[in-house]
Amino acid sequence: MSQQNSTSAYSEERSRERLQMIDTLKAPIIQLGRDLGYEVIENHDLGAGPVHITWVFKPGSESLPDMRLGFICLTEFSNSSINEGIARAMLNLVDKLVFVVPTETMTKEVKDAIESMPDTSILQLRKYVTVLTPSTLVSKSGIQGSRERRSAQTGEVV
Amino acid sequence: MTHHLNKLVQSGQEKGFKVEQNVDYGAGPIDVVWNINLHSALPNIKCGFVTLGAEEEEGSQDTEDNQLSLRKIEEAAFRGIRSGLDKVYLVTENEDMAKSVSGKIEWLASHGSLIRLDAISLGLAPEQTEQAVITPSQKRVPQGEKIRKQTMREREAKLEKYNRPKGERKRREHPLKKRVRESKIDKHGRPRNQKPKRT
Repeated sequence: MSQQNSTSAYSEERSRERLQMIDTLKAPIIQLGRDLGYEVIENHDLGAGPVHITWVFKPGSESLPDMRLGFICLTEFSNSSINEGIARAMLNLVDKLVFVVPTETMTKEVKDAIESMPDTSILQLRKYVTVLTPSTLVSKSGIQGSRERRSAQTGEVV
Repeated sequence: MTHHLNKLVQSGQEKGFKVEQNVDYGAGPIDVVWNINLHSALPNIKCGFVTLGAEEEEGSQDTEDNQLSLRKIEEAAFRGIRSGLDKVYLVTENEDMAKSVSGKIEWLASHGSLIRLDAISLGLAPEQTEQAVITPSQKRVPQGEKIRKQTMREREAKLEKYNRPKGERKRREHPLKKRVRESKIDKHGRPRNQKPKRT
């Protein structure tokens, strides 16, 4: 009985840690989305299960449909969680999916898993899925490109 | 379940297909794969079978009421898709469960996503003898049922027309129309023996 209790306490502890990690991964993406002026939806769900964050934006013209960029946070690598994430994103009408992972090592693992799909497959998921860490996303958006930098120095309008 | 899978293997072999068992193409295990060769000049068609079992999920068995979670269904279907299968059949314990799985797949596909999940995946029971593809309700519902519903709708429309209006319609009603209606209700709404006699 005591062993059962300790097992359930352990699993509870793990699930709490997992949720905490997801929140940590989500926070900078929510902030960045808002800063960039996109509509940010947390736990976007049309019935296939939640997509942690979705950025919804208008691609320039009223006549074009809204685009949805979905973010799903993965706390540990497993094929089943990748399958589930892709299924949720596609079935919830997300146009592009970004897997957010905690480490660069995991980025490589997930990327390899997605690129290892057979060439004959009906889906080419590498065109649909991007894998990155929150730090990559935030730091890249904060750094000006070389062209922008040059224009700022010279006062040239790009 | 192993017994059922053996049946699938045997059935595939009897049909002359190349059968693979417990394979993993990199996206998770697939229980049985039939490689169907239609013509030597054409590529093989790969039909995969993935079993959906009664595993414990957050404290309760999700097969207790012949219902499998959407999570499991999505995961298994995409495991097959990522493995490069042309068709993914989700094998369940019984026909009721298979129907429920197929229904859920149809529902997931109905949102209009990039992928028509129902064109690729289907629930299947090992002992299934009848067609596993879900018949659309237009074909499934007998003609008589439709007629009965039509009669009910007509009756409801008639009641709506002659009954006292409620809410907004009541406020907007013209007084003359109201008087006519009330006199008609008074005349026709009484029991036969209490009707006013004609003079």
